[in-house]
Amino acid sequence: MAGATETSVVRENTSTYEAIAALTVGLAAVLFFLGLAATVEIVSITGSLAGLPTLTALGLLLVVMGVAVGGFGLLSYRGLFPTDPDVSVGIVAAALFSALWALLGFLVGAEALGLGLAGGVVGGLLIGAVAFATTAFPREDVGSTLPAAALAVFFGLVFLLGVVGTEWSWSPANFPDSQSVTFFARSVAPFAVMLSSLVVGWAAAKAYGGFGARGRHLGAYLLVYLNAVAIISILVALVAFVVFKGIGPVAEGVEVGLGVGPATTVSLFGFSYDVVWPVYWPFLMNGASLFTDITGVFPAIVGTAWLVIGAVVLAVPLGVGAAVFLTEYAERGRFTAIVEVATNALWSTPSIVFGLFGAAFLVPRFTPQPQKSLLAGMITLGFMLLPLVVITAREAMIAVPDEYRDASAALGVSKWQTIRSVVLPAAMPGVVTGVILGVGRIAGETAPLLLTMGGGSFVGAGQRAKVLDSFQLSLSPPFVTNPELTQATTALPYQLYQVVLTGTGETAGVTDITAFGWGTALVLLAVVLAFYAVGIATRQYFRSKLSYE
Amino acid sequence: MATNQQRDSDGWLARLSSRFARFAEFVQDTDNDAVVAGAVGGLSLAGAFVGFLVTSPYTSVAVLGFLAAVAYSWVRHQELAARGVTLAMTVSTIVILALITFFIFYEAWPILQDRSGTVLGLTIPGLEMFTTTAWTPAEGTPRYSMLPMIQGTVLVTIIATAVAGPLGVAAALFISEIAPPTVREVVKPGVEVLAGIPSIVYGFLGFTVLSPWASDQFALVGQGTYLFVGIVVGLMALPTVVSVAEDAINSVPESMKSGSLALGTTDWQTMTTVTIPTAFSGISAAVLLGVGRAIGETMAATVMLRNTPTIAEPLYNVFYGFETLTSLIAANYGSSSGLQKDALFVAGCILFLSVLALSVGSQLIEQRMEQKVGGVE
Repeated sequence: MAGATETSVVRENTSTYEAIAALTVGLAAVLFFLGLAATVEIVSITGSLAGLPTLTALGLLLVVMGVAVGGFGLLSYRGLFPTDPDVSVGIVAAALFSALWALLGFLVGAEALGLGLAGGVVGGLLIGAVAFATTAFPREDVGSTLPAAALAVFFGLVFLLGVVGTEWSWSPANFPDSQSVTFFARSVAPFAVMLSSLVVGWAAAKAYGGFGARGRHLGAYLLVYLNAVAIISILVALVAFVVFKGIGPVAEGVEVGLGVGPATTVSLFGFSYDVVWPVYWPFLMNGASLFTDITGVFPAIVGTAWLVIGAVVLAVPLGVGAAVFLTEYAERGRFTAIVEVATNALWSTPSIVFGLFGAAFLVPRFTPQPQKSLLAGMITLGFMLLPLVVITAREAMIAVPDEYRDASAALGVSKWQTIRSVVLPAAMPGVVTGVILGVGRIAGETAPLLLTMGGGSFVGAGQRAKVLDSFQLSLSPPFVTNPELTQATTALPYQLYQVVLTGTGETAGVTDITAFGWGTALVLLAVVLAFYAVGIATRQYFRSKLSYE
Repeated sequence: MATNQQRDSDGWLARLSSRFARFAEFVQDTDNDAVVAGAVGGLSLAGAFVGFLVTSPYTSVAVLGFLAAVAYSWVRHQELAARGVTLAMTVSTIVILALITFFIFYEAWPILQDRSGTVLGLTIPGLEMFTTTAWTPAEGTPRYSMLPMIQGTVLVTIIATAVAGPLGVAAALFISEIAPPTVREVVKPGVEVLAGIPSIVYGFLGFTVLSPWASDQFALVGQGTYLFVGIVVGLMALPTVVSVAEDAINSVPESMKSGSLALGTTDWQTMTTVTIPTAFSGISAAVLLGVGRAIGETMAATVMLRNTPTIAEPLYNVFYGFETLTSLIAANYGSSSGLQKDALFVAGCILFLSVLALSVGSQLIEQRMEQKVGGVE
């Protein structure tokens, strides 16, 4: 209640001030999006904006915002605004501002004024020191607004006075010709606009909160919220872009109806009959061939499916078993500590190192001649999945309350029986979620496959891995052989890499490689995200169920 | 000194003998058939391992022997069998790590020996790979310098950390402390899904969209920049940073935060003065793990870089991207043989060791954090 009255009182006194500050924050947001739009060339730097040349308009906005924010600081310092500033803005903000200004000073000194490296360093240090002094020493309201305002006004004047015009460009002289870089106004200006709008927006949000604890809170929250929004928008934009680009090739020629699809022969106990699919989806059901209209990724889908099955069959029992031993049997000591370090080290080992290991250890061991094979790929990915299974299964088992175990033990049930009938079922949701998410991760893994499994850039439907049909029994060891398992094959991520290697053009019946690549990327993304969606949904389901208990 | 050693070895012997005595007691207490089955199982597992190493067709016989021993003891002595089998599974994680270490160093050894250099009379294997700057495997006197790739990896990792570190920690703070529950239910899975997007998809996007755009924006000669590879890799390392940092922030006891809030601080003040300092070691462990991810990221780099190992000049020229340690392996493994292939394993060793160091380091830091927070409660 006390808080409520206080807020209303503050609001009464400061309504104009707060309104202007909020307006400045809003203006900063507008400016930020203008900068973003200019980066992706929706707004042209050489064109015009609201009747003015774009650069002039942006410069004008920057100066206005800079003056507004600087004005807040000075008016608050003179006590004309009812603010509550601290003694100083703090070392973090001061360090960031002085670094920013030192960089600017360096660039201006070394390049714009042509003073060379020494001049740049002197200019950078000088301006950095001035910025540090302005930020750190005065009261918070001046310290946090003036350097921000100066930045916006500086860039604004640079654009307004035509120092950086539309035709402006700069290439650093000390870069060799074969590695030269040129900065144009069209890339520098949007960046400068976005940078200064962030800084000014932060300062204006602080001013809105009246500086002090509340001002800092608002300024920081603005940035943190912006960060979260940016991450989610990047995710959405990425997925939407792949869907947008890939949906065309993937959906091409889809037919639904009785008898339109390919025939699958099912043989059971000596009888065999054909099943005709009621759907014909060329991109998913065709391979690469000169004789089909639409090239598809069917062999790659089969390869990925076998990889996932192999990896899960290897890693899940091993990982769950290890987790059982670690949580239920082993006493905490040196052995468990070593295992823990080993699993964490395995978890963070780069995938390409797993690939090297698979190439050195597994590839030469299944056939007389070293040969990349589906089996080697399966085992390598299984090894990658293993630490994840151990870690999540352990977490799930540790989370099972000890009362469960005690209650079971009190009934005279033996340890293994307790584990089997109490601990494992209770830990199952966590294990299942972890495995599904882990599978999603390895299904998209490419690097190990290059070294252990991948073969053939565009594979026909007939050359898919027919693992089930190819088991052969013999009387001499090793009793069971399967040539399909010991042969190189393809998988979705590997297929996409082959698209990149091929570049553009026409190969093996693929008319538009890039479109085919987008289609493959979409299918791969759909497979992986489906695993993630199922995994996250499972977790959510079990969590809501458990919270009722 | 001598007595100290004596005592140490005494203690070591005593421990070993007591352990042996306990083992003998255990064997004595256990039924004979269980002991035999255990011995057969253990021996045939070891046999299968050796058989696999020497590519013997009799590996499958040993595997069958192991399965038979397990099946027998599962029927007769389920308790012991379960314990033994899970122990074997646990040991396998250590064995896999040991095998990885052994095999990548074993394959790298020939070139390390071939390119050794002498410093102050000491012969250091592989020194020549770090004192020259050229990677020219196809020339008359082939040179295999790792320096261009190390420069690439360092530049990419620095940029990626600059992206993933601050943004990741801010997102972790947002998820665990700031976001209202409904928003959290969107952002948290969103960050997880970001981790799920396969690196080759990022790479394909970068290759078809980002790289051409960057070349146009900065008038570059050809395609491929460390800057954009670094940004993409940073985006990929972000979820690792977020999830580990979030765990660290969540492990700060609620009582500490409430105590601070009860003094009338704002949420942000509590975060900067209580939550972040307490969780600091956990947060730095998160950033370290993120660095590890960035170092090891392969496909985005392979697809977006030029794959012609050259030193970028000046050394901080991030607008040109040539090769990282990971992309060197991925791009060259298929077409290389002999010393060049061994050189790729050297790159693998560097990657493995640096990431291993980061992983162990972050675990030590996390342990410290656990002790610290545990002591507060």
